[in-house]
Amino acid sequence: MERVVGSAPLKHLVNWSRIYSLWPVHLMTACCGAELGAMMSGRYDPERFGMQAAVGSMRQSDLLIIEGTVTKKMLKRVKVVWEQMPNPKYAIAMGDCACSGGLFHDSYSIVNELEKAIPIDVFVPGCPPRPEALLNAVIKLREKIRREEVYPK
Amino acid sequence: MRIIVRTDGDLIVEATPDVGYVHRGCEKIAESRNIIKNIPMLERPNIADSSHLNWSYIQPIEELQGVEVPERGRYIRTILCEINRIASHLYGMAIMAGIFSGHTTMYMFGFGDRELLLDLAEMLTGARMTFSFFVPGGVRRDLPKDFKEKLLETVDYLERRLVAIDRIFVNNPVFVERGRGVGILRKEDAIKLGVVGPVLRASGVRCDVRKDAPYGAYDKVDFEIPTFKEGDSLSRWLVRFEEIKQSISILRQAIRDIPKGPIARKSPIVIPRGEAISRIESSRGEINHYIVGNGSDKPYRVKMNTGSFKNLLALPFLLRGVRIGDLPIVYGGLDYWPVEADR
Amino acid sequence: MTATLSTQEQRIATAVKEQLGSAVEDVRVDRKGRMSLVARNETITEVAACLQRLGFDHTIAVSGVDYLTEKRIEVVYFLSSYSRDDLKHLVLSLKAQLDREKPSLPTLTPIWESANLFEREAHEMFGVNFEGHPNLQKLLLQDNWDGPPPMRKDLTFPELA
Repeated sequence: MERVVGSAPLKHLVNWSRIYSLWPVHLMTACCGAELGAMMSGRYDPERFGMQAAVGSMRQSDLLIIEGTVTKKMLKRVKVVWEQMPNPKYAIAMGDCACSGGLFHDSYSIVNELEKAIPIDVFVPGCPPRPEALLNAVIKLREKIRREEVYPK
Repeated sequence: MRIIVRTDGDLIVEATPDVGYVHRGCEKIAESRNIIKNIPMLERPNIADSSHLNWSYIQPIEELQGVEVPERGRYIRTILCEINRIASHLYGMAIMAGIFSGHTTMYMFGFGDRELLLDLAEMLTGARMTFSFFVPGGVRRDLPKDFKEKLLETVDYLERRLVAIDRIFVNNPVFVERGRGVGILRKEDAIKLGVVGPVLRASGVRCDVRKDAPYGAYDKVDFEIPTFKEGDSLSRWLVRFEEIKQSISILRQAIRDIPKGPIARKSPIVIPRGEAISRIESSRGEINHYIVGNGSDKPYRVKMNTGSFKNLLALPFLLRGVRIGDLPIVYGGLDYWPVEADR
Repeated sequence: MTATLSTQEQRIATAVKEQLGSAVEDVRVDRKGRMSLVARNETITEVAACLQRLGFDHTIAVSGVDYLTEKRIEVVYFLSSYSRDDLKHLVLSLKAQLDREKPSLPTLTPIWESANLFEREAHEMFGVNFEGHPNLQKLLLQDNWDGPPPMRKDLTFPELA
């Protein structure tokens, strides 16, 4: 079964369906959430990529967009959300604060290196990144998914 | 933020908000940075309303330094703040009537119309939301050449859109019945709990810092303060809706009457010894910055108190006795911004 | 900003000095709309009750300031009024000086309920104990914070170059 599905052309079909239905979890951590909200609206239109704005729960989504600063109090909850998402799942770190600490890097209560807790696929710098930059990140993620194996080793 | 709720069947008996998930220690970091370098950091707590936070940080510094902003600078500050107020109210209305009551229409309307205001702000300052436009002594740049025409065009378009929102939401029983009579806050309780902003004005208290202690160009323009008596979630939404109309009127008057002249005065990059407090009416309520200076270029103490933190005390009070299904409407009516409350 | 001071501020200053006498020190009017006074810690509840009778019905902020070199922590209550039209523009700062080793003050929540969360924040940021407060738990810091109160000047950061 794995040999059949993992080979082309079924592999391309499976990857194509994953690309066109990336449903994000709404985890608004901090200020970048305003630009995420702006990206989900009419002018930038992520629905043409299949990204639906209103998702029921995290068990039905496959994309976690971590935007904004992750504090130590919030880190445990972000990990819980990540573990509840079913495979295959992807993560985008949006904003300077999620990439490396950003403006608040010398604070006593934030996490500077998020990639040690959660494996991140795409980093989007900016403070906050423009909605076009976030859409560009989604397109790069789609290219990455298009190339990957259906059953990773 | 998290709300821990104890219920008896369908009714909420006790609700405890659990906050602090975005506490980044802004006040502590501000003590170790130069006053100008603090400006971008201290306007991030409320990114949708950042010019008010910027002004509230700058006002006590100017008071201690004894610098008076020239007239044209004050008008430009007022114009940018009112653009920001309309954008922030559209955001708040979109969240409550859009996501929390299940109609994605208001979400798309609110965010789509907000984009035009962000285009205006980008024309003036260069950034969509994080302007960092006010400095001690004035503003950074003057109005661009065709700003006035673009502003009047945007404002005319917004007035036509408000008619559409009026028809689809304000006169629509599907939306009105969800908010009418839900989470009532009486006038005496509003004063006792010390709530601010549209929550206060929806409970019948006619207080607004722009009228009580005017700053900027607010003493030179004519506007009203919409006040409702019912104190329920629907009135809190309607206060924001009416305030957008008042802001449009302020913008028209300000761009018509703005005088010529300099936009800023030179100010030293030190804070003299002393302490001062600011009062600015942002879109979620009154914000205050208390600054203690000790003669160096870094502030000795910066204390921020924002509208959402002051309104937090009202949340457990309002949720007692409400049904679980009405919790999103009560929460959305308060327009609580967690980053601003936690700083 | 005018050189003559407004009558409202002078009226409040006179009334406070008459009714409270030695329970307050250093009553001053800085400019139109800003006043401050320092209260003695033992009598702060009495001072607060008198100010509430004069018309100040809510707190707009409560702040702590750590004066490390002078070995004191100052707690400032900022008061204003919603119900009296002649006091709406005024902010009165009520200050209390506390010892830095064991800062402690009676809570003012029975008089101004709006100070509830502000005192809780001052407790966890500066270590000030408000006697009689209904719920003095952590509000903003993480659950397992075991260091010193963060806003004290002993806890320093590596400064930016």
